[in-house]
Amino acid sequence: MDKSVNSVFVNGEEVQFEPGQTILNLLRKELGEEAIPTLCDAPNLKPFGSCRVCSVDVALAADGPMKVQASCHTPVTPGSYIYTHTDRINRLRKNIVELVLTDYPREKFTHDNPQQNELKKVALQTGIDISDVRYLPGANHLDRPKDEAHPYMRANLAACINCYRCIRACDEVQGEMVLTMVGRGFENTVTMGMNEGFKESDCVSCGACSQACPTGAITDIFAAEFANADQVTRTVCTYCGVGCNLNVATSKGEVVGINAPYDAEVNQGHTCLKGRYAFQFYNHPERLRNPLLKKNGKFEKVSWDEAYDFIVDKFQSIRAEHGPDAIGGISSSRCTNEENYLMQKFIRAVVGTNNIDGCARVCHSPTALGMQRAFGTGAATNSIIDLKYTNCIMVIGANPTAAHPVTGAKIKQAAMKGTPLIVIDPRRTPLAKLADYHLQLRPGTNVAMLNMLLYYIITAGLEDKEFIAQRTEGYDDFAQQIKSLDIDQMAEVTGVSKELARQAAIAYASAPNAMSFHGLGVTEHSQGTFTVMQIADLAMITGNIGRRGVGVNPLRGQNNVQGSADMGVQPHQGAGYLDITDPNAQALYEKHYGVPLPKQIGYKIPEMFDAAIAGKMKAIWIIGEDVVQTDPNTAKVKKALEMMDLVVVQELFMTETALMADVVLPGASFLEKSGTFTNGERRVQRVNKVIEPVGNARVDGQIIVDVMKRMGYDQPDYTAAGVLQEVSRIVPFFKGIKWEELGENGKQWPVAEDGKSTDMIHVQAFKRGKGNIQFFDWRETEEITRHANEFPYIITTNRDLEHYNCGAMTRRTGNVELNREDVLLINPRDARDNGIEDGDMVCVTSARGKVDIKAKITDQVNPGVMSTTFHFPEIMVNMITSDVHDSEAKCPEYKVVAVKIRKSKGEFARV
Amino acid sequence: MAENLSALSGRQGLDNNLFEKMVAGARENGSPDNQLLRDLAEEFLMGKAITYGAASFYDFLKPDHQGKKVHVCNGSACMLAGTQDSIHEKLGTHFKEEEIGHMCCLGRCYENGAFQLNGQNYSGDDIEKVAEYISDRGENDSSYVIKSKLSTPVLTGEALTIEAYASLFRKVITAGADGALAEIKASNIRGRGGAGFPMGVKIESCKNTPAGQKYIVCNADEGDPGAFSDRYLLEEQPLSVLFGMLTAGYIAGASRGVLYIRGEYPESVRVVKKAIEALAAAGLQGEDILGSGFDFRFKIIEGAGAYVCGEETALLSSIEGQRPEVRIRPPYPTQEGLFNKPTIVNNVETLAAIPFIIRAGGKAYAAYGTGKSTGTKLVSLDSFFNHPGMVEVEMGIPFKELIYGIGGGFKSPVKALHVGGPLGGIVPVHKIADLTLDFESFQQQGFLLGHAGIVSVPEDYPMINYLEHLFDFTAVESCGKCFPCSIGSVRGREMMAAAAEDAVKIDRQLLDDLLETMEVGSLCALGGGLPLGVNNALQYFEDELKQYFK
Ligand SMILES: Cc1cc2nc3c(=O)[nH]c(=O)nc-3n(C[C@H](O)[C@H](O)[C@H](O)COP(=O)(O)O)c2cc1C
Ligand code: SF4
Ligand code: SF4
Ligand code: SF4
Ligand code: FES
Repeated sequence: MDKSVNSVFVNGEEVQFEPGQTILNLLRKELGEEAIPTLCDAPNLKPFGSCRVCSVDVALAADGPMKVQASCHTPVTPGSYIYTHTDRINRLRKNIVELVLTDYPREKFTHDNPQQNELKKVALQTGIDISDVRYLPGANHLDRPKDEAHPYMRANLAACINCYRCIRACDEVQGEMVLTMVGRGFENTVTMGMNEGFKESDCVSCGACSQACPTGAITDIFAAEFANADQVTRTVCTYCGVGCNLNVATSKGEVVGINAPYDAEVNQGHTCLKGRYAFQFYNHPERLRNPLLKKNGKFEKVSWDEAYDFIVDKFQSIRAEHGPDAIGGISSSRCTNEENYLMQKFIRAVVGTNNIDGCARVCHSPTALGMQRAFGTGAATNSIIDLKYTNCIMVIGANPTAAHPVTGAKIKQAAMKGTPLIVIDPRRTPLAKLADYHLQLRPGTNVAMLNMLLYYIITAGLEDKEFIAQRTEGYDDFAQQIKSLDIDQMAEVTGVSKELARQAAIAYASAPNAMSFHGLGVTEHSQGTFTVMQIADLAMITGNIGRRGVGVNPLRGQNNVQGSADMGVQPHQGAGYLDITDPNAQALYEKHYGVPLPKQIGYKIPEMFDAAIAGKMKAIWIIGEDVVQTDPNTAKVKKALEMMDLVVVQELFMTETALMADVVLPGASFLEKSGTFTNGERRVQRVNKVIEPVGNARVDGQIIVDVMKRMGYDQPDYTAAGVLQEVSRIVPFFKGIKWEELGENGKQWPVAEDGKSTDMIHVQAFKRGKGNIQFFDWRETEEITRHANEFPYIITTNRDLEHYNCGAMTRRTGNVELNREDVLLINPRDARDNGIEDGDMVCVTSARGKVDIKAKITDQVNPGVMSTTFHFPEIMVNMITSDVHDSEAKCPEYKVVAVKIRKSKGEFARV
Repeated sequence: MAENLSALSGRQGLDNNLFEKMVAGARENGSPDNQLLRDLAEEFLMGKAITYGAASFYDFLKPDHQGKKVHVCNGSACMLAGTQDSIHEKLGTHFKEEEIGHMCCLGRCYENGAFQLNGQNYSGDDIEKVAEYISDRGENDSSYVIKSKLSTPVLTGEALTIEAYASLFRKVITAGADGALAEIKASNIRGRGGAGFPMGVKIESCKNTPAGQKYIVCNADEGDPGAFSDRYLLEEQPLSVLFGMLTAGYIAGASRGVLYIRGEYPESVRVVKKAIEALAAAGLQGEDILGSGFDFRFKIIEGAGAYVCGEETALLSSIEGQRPEVRIRPPYPTQEGLFNKPTIVNNVETLAAIPFIIRAGGKAYAAYGTGKSTGTKLVSLDSFFNHPGMVEVEMGIPFKELIYGIGGGFKSPVKALHVGGPLGGIVPVHKIADLTLDFESFQQQGFLLGHAGIVSVPEDYPMINYLEHLFDFTAVESCGKCFPCSIGSVRGREMMAAAAEDAVKIDRQLLDDLLETMEVGSLCALGGGLPLGVNNALQYFEDELKQYFK
């Protein structure tokens, strides 16, 4: 475009602008962020135009008449003359703020720090103090009551200036629509729900409103101290695979509050309540502060030296007596890449076995495996930003508004605005409610369901023939088998009508760009890996790979589940996914580790327990994973641990697993260490230490290095940057990653030597060459074939927004006030059939055991299907889950448990 | 903010309408109960705060409205005519105090004394027979003089038959979308809703915006106290309005038309409903109209008592069931309007001119009027005139001729005319001679033609009280979104009230600052337009008002 067409005059000076840019945007770029005062504008909200303090004078000709325009929502007119500080504008701004101050608490104005109270800042900028107000006292809202009932959220609406930022944040960012104005005009009052206050409303405590409020009228229990903190450190959230960036404020070495940086590429100023508010666990009284050694069945506080001596001694004697394969390690996806790398290195190079696995086993191992088999890389093909470009979203077996809330909120935003949404889930999740197509299948029938979709795409002739021919292999066989499916039988077993399936298939296949997301509802099944490969099939046969707005995007569970696998926490692959049975890979690892390495594939987690029970495994070191509470079939896990000679558990809290340990080592939380986490879109981000480890706790990487050295391995002293450098020499896709160059938003792997980040993979060709299209037939899980007669109902497990996994952290924060217990979701019909009322305790029995749990009657689940969470040790839902596993990756089948139910008898009728 | 809600509301289409359901839910008790609002939120996939907040906005939906059985008009004209107190008093013998509510302007300004009972409006001396009306609806015998000095009236002539409209629409089909648009552009017709925006440009912009679904919205929220011209057209010439929408839809490629009719005009709703049925029977609504392949269906949405819903973006939000808060522009409705789809919003009177333009041609229309103000204009004359009622005049006639000729002058002494609604200018009687009735003349003289409702301010009515009333009107009707209007109108009202009642003198500098802030700072003309009349009064009634200033 001609340059002069895109130029305007700002206070007489000619500058260039971008088409469509607002005046405010341009002025902030040209004159600085503070040049134009605003009150209703916020970085993550759409222009709204209520405060009018952003107004500027605009003329269409050099000496033409000037018109006042609100800069925040007026696009730049080419060739116009913008004046930011005419007398009229200065007067206008001041006079508006004066009006605002006629209804603002004098005390608050006087006391608040102008850096945190935008109204005060703008008042001072525009040259007015509250004592300058000329109006006589009149109608006001200074006597509004405060709302202090919620564990986190606070409202003091006497200080509200009706800028709508909170309301817009709740709608435009979180999508919850909890807030509204009530009334009209001057009487407008911000209101939660139907005038219920935060606590009783549907607020999910994301804090977006609190962060948006310019006056502290809506705030949270931490905000005041945040405002006066000594220091703010940017780091990455420890909770889920979204990988939100956080600004953590500290005063005198204590964390006082967290908010979200607006310039974070991952989360743009948003987080969920776990990231923003659930940090108080870190110095909870129950936090482990010293190494503990079990002596005569009781834990005793010991020094690090004593603990280390004990562990090293035991490892060495067990290895001498039973060989290295009698030892195993479980590493943690909660820990950094550097720590995971070290743990697998310790097990392989120091102990000399491949018995290393991680908690990814129980969640996304089928994703890693299935996507590797299909594409060659076990990671998301695209990025979350692709939601902006997509024309159709398919969510399979995931409830991201609870488990990946920031991504969930983004999907919700897209769906509300009309991007077609397909949800495949047995539960009527919040996204399912919004979906155009909700395929509410019976748990355990994913493969049948996806085959239906594949069938309808192929029979409608909607496959992308060109993509299939050029980029894939195996299609012809596959199509043959798909076409010969008994589609009526598929509809029968899934319980999803053929017509609905057909419509959804056509919506996905005919969208110019369609992207899928999947979660544990896909992987935690006996056919989990196959299902992942079918999702890949869907993308490949429709050509939805290698562009913006497409792809296969697993919603990785824990914050660093991607990273732990990348770092080699798997029994069959080392750091960088090289096959440990491949001589070339062995040579490479041996060169770097400087020792000979074991050549056989080690045990996966469930196999470790089997081996222990069989007397073959004698020692285990578990980092940050509560296998007792979170792994299926609790009784069996306990038995396995009991059988071992040495159980080392490195933890933040005395979990159910730690209770069974011989040695408990106090690790450090994410706030207390530096390193990197890799989020679900392959983004390696810097975790920066905010505070020192509490008590005598130590950084986990340090602990591993200490033990390595004591076992005679020459590992350099621990620093995150040093280990990352070691990793970048071994892991091909980390080649260009350097600690100093990661910046605030990290880099997405593969990162080539030149340091370039990659937001999309398989663009030209698949990592494995041609994409592998493969057919899989549905098979009923053994859990059903074996037990359905005696146990006619199916329970599937899920997660709640407020809690994380075993809840060790979130249960030790204010979150517990929001959600105190696991509940059983049960359809009204099943409840009626079994004489169960809402709130009754229900005894749920499976072939393994029984638990008592409170019923919540809801139409979120179909008759015959129930759902529950597993966050609370009081319930130990995993007493009943099965030990059926994915045939390929050995991920446990948490999602299908055959049970029977009855109302609990007196002894269990807890309230 | 509006985007999500617009889309969610739009998912259900026009036929399952959130706002309509809220209004229906208020019918029994005067306000929808919380359970209904909760269910609606669930159905429309919104937070329950949304429906709760929306209902709280409207006079006839908010919880305070519960139990109101009869409504007295508190519009400017009835106020100045001084009929409100006696009506209220007389109703008081039949109703408890808490059963008597208010409505702002029932469009009976030509005789005042207006009230609404059982979905029926009454005025003049109807109050004497109120006992009868309570038990039995009775006849609505209010009539007003309709005057036109034109040989071929554009808007007020004898209503055409439905057959005539059918053949007129054949003419549209023959001309095609481009041909019909060319006529409208040639007519140079400007919007009659107040802003005077060229209709041809608006239709063309919508036509050129690609979209699967588009809408034509008729703004029949005629909120200006003193104006009843839209009411006249809706009730006496409904087919002309519907034909205008049909034609606009044909040109722009819209298949749905919405008439947003204010709740204060129940008779209009009834008449238009019948007219739509008649159109349908004649094959002028529905699929494949007259074999043209063009589909069009009408929908009536009844308002619920909020002046700001006349502002086009607030009106769209209202239809969607959102709080009718004024939206920023761009995006303009022709790009992203109802349910985020391209939409044309036109005033009743603008649309009603289309039959003439199609029949006689754009040029014939443009032959009426002056320069930039082509065509004719309806003017509403209040009960101070010797000949009150509805007048159609050619744009550009001397204002004097209208007031003293057609209107016959005043029954009792009048000192000023408030022309163009509460946001219009206050014309002192001595300025009448300087004006001609068109957009330009009024603007040049510092007034506003607007919708051309004329409210007379009697000689003995204190101007300070009238100014208080104007600030009060804006304070009560402000949507509350922008700071200058929502806070400023309240402070202005307080200043006027303190001056009128407690002899607290006004700081002129402060008042000037306030007026400037509202005028240049407000997001829409509710806050932005108020200062015009106030400034007129300050200028022309300085002598009367100076006692109130420091
Ligand atoms: C506060 C306010 C109230 C309005 N009320 C009405 C109204 O009652 N009727 C109307 O047609 N236009 C009204 N308008 C103007 C509309 O916003 C819009 O300009 C008009 O409907 C466009 O139609 P037209 O171009 O045919 O005039 C109002 C504007 C404002 C700012
Ligand atoms: S905390 Fe989040 S969900 Fe709750 S009201 Fe605020 S923005 Fe809405
Ligand atoms: S509570 Fe805060 S963000 Fe919300 S409207 Fe009031 S001042 Fe604005
Ligand atoms: S001027 Fe008044 S009515 Fe218009 S947007 Fe502002 S507050 Fe709302
Ligand atoms: S920032 Fe533009 S109106 Fe508030």
